Amino acid sequence: MKEYILTPEEMDFTRRCRELALRKGVQKIRVTANKSTMDLIGTLNGEIDKVTHCMDRSISICVFVDGRYGSFATNRFDEEELDSFLDKAISTTRMLAEDGFRDLPDPSRTAKDAKTGLELELFDDRYDTVTPQERLRMALDASIFGKEDGGDRWTLVSEEAEYSDSVFDTYLIDSQGLECRHIETSFEYGVEITVEDSEGDKYSGYWWDGTPLLKDLSIMECCPKALERAVAQMAPKGHRGGRFNMVIDSEVASKVVSPVLKALNAYSLQQNNSFMMDTLGKKVFPEGLSIIDCCRNKGETGSRYFDSEGVVSVQRPVIQNGEVMMYFVNTYMSGKMAMAPTIEEPIRPKVMPYPQAGLKKDDILKLCGSGIYVTEFNGGNSNSSTGDFSYGIEGFAFKNGKITHPVREMVVTGNFLTLWSHLLACGDDARLCMSKLIPTLAFSDVDFSS
Amino acid sequence: MINEKKYYLDTFRVTDGQLEELIAESLRNGGSFADLYFENTTCTDLLLKDGEVNVGGFNVDFGVGIRVLNGEKTGYAYSESTDMASMLAAARAASAISDGSAGKVGADREDEASAPKYRGKPNPAADRYPMKDDWRTCEAALFVPYLAKIDSAIRQKDSRIIKVIAALSSQVTDVLMFNSLGEMKYDTRPLGSISVSVIFSQDGKTENKSVSRSFRSGAEMLTDSLLDEVVNLAVSGIDERFAAKRPKGGQMPVVMGAGASGILLHEAMGHAFEADFNRKGQSIFSDRMGQKVCRSGISIVDDGTIRGNRGAINFDDEGVPGQYTYMVEDGVLTSYLHDRISAGYYGVKPTGNGRRESFRYHPIPRMRATYMEGGDCSKEDIIASVDKGIYVDQFSNGQVKIGEGDFTFYVKSGYLIEKGRLTMPVKDINIIGNGPQALADIEMVGNDPTIDDCTWTCGKEQSVPVSCGIPTVLVKSLTVGGE
Repeated sequence: MKEYILTPEEMDFTRRCRELALRKGVQKIRVTANKSTMDLIGTLNGEIDKVTHCMDRSISICVFVDGRYGSFATNRFDEEELDSFLDKAISTTRMLAEDGFRDLPDPSRTAKDAKTGLELELFDDRYDTVTPQERLRMALDASIFGKEDGGDRWTLVSEEAEYSDSVFDTYLIDSQGLECRHIETSFEYGVEITVEDSEGDKYSGYWWDGTPLLKDLSIMECCPKALERAVAQMAPKGHRGGRFNMVIDSEVASKVVSPVLKALNAYSLQQNNSFMMDTLGKKVFPEGLSIIDCCRNKGETGSRYFDSEGVVSVQRPVIQNGEVMMYFVNTYMSGKMAMAPTIEEPIRPKVMPYPQAGLKKDDILKLCGSGIYVTEFNGGNSNSSTGDFSYGIEGFAFKNGKITHPVREMVVTGNFLTLWSHLLACGDDARLCMSKLIPTLAFSDVDFSS
Repeated sequence: MINEKKYYLDTFRVTDGQLEELIAESLRNGGSFADLYFENTTCTDLLLKDGEVNVGGFNVDFGVGIRVLNGEKTGYAYSESTDMASMLAAARAASAISDGSAGKVGADREDEASAPKYRGKPNPAADRYPMKDDWRTCEAALFVPYLAKIDSAIRQKDSRIIKVIAALSSQVTDVLMFNSLGEMKYDTRPLGSISVSVIFSQDGKTENKSVSRSFRSGAEMLTDSLLDEVVNLAVSGIDERFAAKRPKGGQMPVVMGAGASGILLHEAMGHAFEADFNRKGQSIFSDRMGQKVCRSGISIVDDGTIRGNRGAINFDDEGVPGQYTYMVEDGVLTSYLHDRISAGYYGVKPTGNGRRESFRYHPIPRMRATYMEGGDCSKEDIIASVDKGIYVDQFSNGQVKIGEGDFTFYVKSGYLIEKGRLTMPVKDINIIGNGPQALADIEMVGNDPTIDDCTWTCGKEQSVPVSCGIPTVLVKSLTVGGE
C-alpha cells in the first residue's frame, strides 16, 4: 500500500462525500481530494540544519444548492466530521444570494483521459526507494561551503540550501460522472549563497533546480551557480537613466508575461480590470510574439490533462503571430459573459522563439549590442486596468554584447502593450523546471530611470 | 480569548499523559528541546461582487506539529490526525534530527536551570483579544447585510464607480502548546478582516482604490463606525488619483506619511533585525549590535501587546509571552527579534517572536506590530522643511534584499513637495534605497505616530498577520524613479 498517495479508502471517502451531499439536498457537487507527502533536508554552511517530514490531505467541495454556490474545504477525513462539515456547508450556501450562472462544466468538455493519474508520466518510481541516508548524502554532497576561495575579493559567509522530494495526488469527481486523477513526483534543490566583499558589503545569489524524475535533477550545479550570481553583483555602479534595450533573464521574464495572461482572464475582463479588453481576434502584439499552452507534454512538470473544474486541457495558441486567439473563460464566466467557455487559465504557457530557434541569453545580448540585462525585479507594481508598470530592477549594463558591470537603484517604467510592441527577441532557453516556459526576452527603447 | 485547559484537551482529543509520552518519544534519540503545537483553525469568507453576496465558503484545518531541536538544528513533522499512532509517527520523524543518520548528535538537553521559565497558566484577565461574538458560531446570514450596506453606501458616494468588491474574512484558531520544559500554553486567536476594492471610470480612464481593516476580534468588530470608516476611505482621494502624474525622478528628500508608510520600516529594516538572518550572517546588521544605526531620539519597536491589533499575541507559537521589544532605542541597535533557537545562540531571552503560519511549519523569528515611536516635530513643519521632494502616504509592493539592504517600494499615492507645500498628486513611481542608509538619513520624526490597521500579511517563507506604523518622517535623500 502506497500511503504517500491517496489510498483506495481515501478515494472511497471522497465518493462517499459526494453521495452524502447529494442525499442531503445538494443538486450538484464537485469534490476534490488532494494528498501530498514531502521530505526535506535543510543544510546551513555544509551541515545539516533541518529535517522535515510532511503529509497533507484535504477534501474540497463546490456545492450547488437551490441556485446558490459555495466552496468549502477540510483536512478532517472522518465520517463524523464529514457529516457536520456537509451540513454546515449546505446551510452556509443557502444563506447566499442566488447566482444562475454557477454550474458544473458540460460533461462533453471534461477530461476523459486521466484515469490513473499516471498518464502524463510524471510519477517517478524512484520516489519509493529514496532513503533518508540518500537524501542526506545528496544535500551534503551539493555543498561548496569551505571549498571555494574568493581570495581578497570575497568571503562566502552563508550557504543555506534545501533538498526535498515530494509527491502530490489530486482526485477530482463530480455529480455528473466526472472522475479524473493526477499524480506527480518532484525532486528539488535550491540554495542561497551570501558573500561579503572586502568593504563588508554583502551580496546574495540564488539558484535551484526541480524535476519530476530524480535522474534529471542537476543538483551539483546549483551551489556554483548561486555563488557565481552572488559574486557577479559585487561593486555595482550607478547608471544614467534613459531609453535602452532591455534583455530579461529567463528566470524572471514571467514578470512581463504573466500580467498579459492575467489580463486575458475572463474574470479580469468582466470586472473591467484588464488592459486586454476587446482584443480577442485582434492583432495587438507584434508578429514575433506567439504563446502556446503546451499543457499535455508527457514527462514535463506543470503538464495537466484537466483544470480545477475537470475541463480537459487542450494544446493551443493563446497568442499567435501577435493575434489574441483566446480568453480564459471558465464555466461560470462563460454564463456570466455569454461567451463560449475555454479553460480557466493557461496551464503551461510557452513563449515561442523569435526571430529564430536556438537563441540563448548570450546570443540575445549580442543581437541587442548594448543595454541593460535584468536579472531580478525588486518591488514595484503594475496597473491591471491600464497596463502601466514600474518595477525596481537589478542586473547588469552590457555593451557590444558583453556584460560590463552590475547596476543598482534603477527602475524600469512603461506600459505592457507598448513594451511588447518593441519586442526584439524571444530566446529558446526556457527552463523546463518552471511551470511557465518563458525564455530570455529582449525589447528596444525601454525607459529606465535611476 | 483564553478558555479553560479542558476545552483545548477536548478539542484536540488528547490527555496530559499523551502529551508527556509524545515529548518522550520525540527526544528518544536525544535532542535539546521538543515541543508540540496543536492547532484547530476555521476560516470563513464571504464575497460581494456585482451587488450581491453570492460566493462564500469556509476551510477547516486541524493538526499537530512536533519539533525537536538538537542545538540550533531542527527536526519537524506534523500529523493531521491526533490519534496517538499518527502523532507518535510524527514524533519519530521529527526525532531524526537527533538520529545518527540525520547528522551530528551532541547538543545537551535544555534543562530547567538554563532555560527561561514560562511556567505560568495562561491568564484570561491578561487576554489581548477577548472575543465576544465567536465567528464560528455566527451564521453567514448575519454578515450578508453588512457587506450589502458597504456596497450601497460606497456607490452612493461617487457616480464614477463602476465596480465594488467587498470581502469579509474571519478566522478563529485554537492553539495548545506543550514542551519538554513542561510548559503548557493555550490560546484562541480570532482575526476578522474587511477588504474593499472599488473601480472608478472617468473620461475613458479607470482607477482603482483598495482599503482594508483587520483586527484580532470577534464579530463584534462589525460596527457602524467601522463601516463608515471603510466607506469613506474607499472613495477618498480618487480625484487626486485621476489627476496624478508621474513626476521627474532623481535623488530627493522623501517625507513618509504617518501610518501605512510603516511598511517600509517593516520591510527595509524590520526583516534585517530578525535574528535568524543575523545568526546566519545574512543580514546587513549582523555585526552591528550595540552600534548607533540612526539619530538619537529614534526608537523602533516590535510590539505584540496591542489589544485587538492584527499583530497582537498572548503567546508566540513557542509558548513565549508576547512582548514589547525595542530593536532600536535612542538610535542604538539594542535587540534582534528572537525565537528560542536564536535566543539560545545569542545567550539572551526569547523576545516572543517565534511565529508560524500553521502547524505545518516550524516557528521562525517574525515581526508582530512594528513601528517607530513618535518624535517632536509636527507634520506641517516636516513638509515645510522640504524645498523639493516627495510626500508619500501609501506604499505597496515593497521588496528588500536582506543581505544588501536594498529596497524598492511602489508609491500608491503621494504628492510632490515644492517650496514646503504639497502640490501635484503623483503616481506610478518607485522609491529606491538602502535600509541602513535610509535609517541613518532620517532627519525629522513627527509627533503623530500611527499604527495602520490594514490586512498586512508578512510572507517570509510563511504567511503571518502583522501590522506596522510610523509617524511622519523625513528621509533626507532617496532615489525616486520617475520620468
